[in-house]
Amino acid sequence: MKTKRSIITTLTLCVTLSLTACTGKEPAKTDDTQNTTMVSSTEQSTNDTDAKLNDLYQQENQIFADHEDVWNKAFGMMNKSTADPSGNYADYLAGVVESNKSAFTDDELKTLTDDIETIRGIEKQIAETESKNAASAASDTQDSSNSDTSPFKNFSGKDFDGNTVDGSLFSNNAVTVINFWFNGCKPCVAELSKLNELNDTIQSMGGEVIGINTETFDGNETAIKEASSILESQGAKYRNFSIDSDSDAGKYASDIMAFPTTILVDRNGNIVGDPMLGGIDDQANYDALMKQIQSVIDADSTNK
Amino acid sequence: MDKKTNIRSKKIARIRGWIQAAATLLTNIHIPNLWKGKIYQGNAKTICVPGLNCYSCPAATGSCPIGAFQAVVGSSRFKFSYYVTGFFILLGVILGRFICGFLCPFGWFQDLLHKIPGKKFSTARLKPLRYLKYIILLVFVILLPMLVTNSIGMGDPFFCKYICPQGVLEGAIPLSLGNAAIRSALGKLFSFKCLILIAVVILSIIFYRPFCKWICPLGAIYSLFNKVSLLNIKVEDSKCVGCDQCLKACKMDVDIRKNPDHPECIRCGACIKSCPKNAIHYQFMDKPCKKKNNDQQ
Repeated sequence: MKTKRSIITTLTLCVTLSLTACTGKEPAKTDDTQNTTMVSSTEQSTNDTDAKLNDLYQQENQIFADHEDVWNKAFGMMNKSTADPSGNYADYLAGVVESNKSAFTDDELKTLTDDIETIRGIEKQIAETESKNAASAASDTQDSSNSDTSPFKNFSGKDFDGNTVDGSLFSNNAVTVINFWFNGCKPCVAELSKLNELNDTIQSMGGEVIGINTETFDGNETAIKEASSILESQGAKYRNFSIDSDSDAGKYASDIMAFPTTILVDRNGNIVGDPMLGGIDDQANYDALMKQIQSVIDADSTNK
Repeated sequence: MDKKTNIRSKKIARIRGWIQAAATLLTNIHIPNLWKGKIYQGNAKTICVPGLNCYSCPAATGSCPIGAFQAVVGSSRFKFSYYVTGFFILLGVILGRFICGFLCPFGWFQDLLHKIPGKKFSTARLKPLRYLKYIILLVFVILLPMLVTNSIGMGDPFFCKYICPQGVLEGAIPLSLGNAAIRSALGKLFSFKCLILIAVVILSIIFYRPFCKWICPLGAIYSLFNKVSLLNIKVEDSKCVGCDQCLKACKMDVDIRKNPDHPECIRCGACIKSCPKNAIHYQFMDKPCKKKNNDQQ
């Protein structure tokens, strides 16, 4: 009687366990399909916005063409080194005209300032469309990483020499490979030299490898010292950062259960694809990561 | 008075299954994590649980002492795991292999498997295999993690990595079901350890507790303390009529009358239950009173 009861208990346990297995997989599947549909819809909207942007740029060019003589004169006075691609273009033009006022006649000046105001309006529209575009792209990547906002949006950290970095860390490169590790993790240490190699390889392609050591959070001096000596012993020269455990990135790192974990972050600080577990000293892992890096770089260059 | 304690010992032995269930639940309290595929990483994880209970079980309350021992021994920062060794000595001196019989989740798992009906085989002829667990303790838990290290002195937890079936059962399987990233990282090592788990499961059905008898390094440690542990079993010679019922009842192949503190005795109480004269009972510090909290459960 008693054995029977225990058999029944074991059986029920087995059944529940197998059921859990099924339910565990189910949501993941639906997520996947949602993602693919999401991607195709955003692709379409990207095409729309691209057309709009093209149109706006055409309008600007038309203005320059209409008053070709005077604009060519103005362009001739521009200095390439002072050009700031991230600044407002209209402001920049106005600045150039302002500083070379004496070279233009009153009529010319009037044409220029009028044109600049029109360009200012167009630039505003361009900025709006671009930010919308970026936002939808961001939400797209966030869906695949299953979080509401990227934990690396407001990134801030310090390298082991005490130099501060912020989100601009990501914007300089098409792809940033973030490797999470800790001092006591043997497989993490085993891949450090390979990560350094990877950093050298992808630097020319517009990528960078950075390390985040979870023991060095909140500027923990002893852990940073130990981490530095481990990095040195493995010949790893890429940058490592100590971050705040309370920051979004810190919370993200604290939730990681298996080390080493490596993720890819694009120019906008969004996580791309799924995190990779395991060291890249394993050739299969290295190849898989390299493929993903290449696809992020490709996506980045087509976006430009 | 004596009669009462003997009956109380019998009661404890009878509710052993429930105590095992309660202990397993208590050491794996974070049940919802099983669905999330996440490991609890709070402060309680700095404490070891008594039984073989994988740290990487999503539900685990604390750390596995064998895993913790290897992690510290294998770390470049420490030469030897003094804290975990102290923990072994403390628990060994208080409870001995009572932990195997009452508190270890993997012991309970094997007990349940053995209840599956079918042909059962005695392990009495396989007694030499018992020494295998001491070799595993020495080689895989102590020597290899300590000596086989990389350039900066870090070793692998060899027992956890290459042998422990509890790690697959509690750690790898639930984690990979709940976590896609871990699922994608499974490789040959996982398949190999699944084979070990399957072998242990099949053996557990036909033999009683094969893992505890032959493999478990934690059982090997606690067995060394059985002779001195405060909790042990007493056979009253005056009451014993030599019927051999206890010898027949013992699934760990121990003759409790000859050697009540045998290293293989997991204090499961099968002999206590079987004794027609109530001549066998648990005692704590030579007093025939059993821990009261267990009694109330």
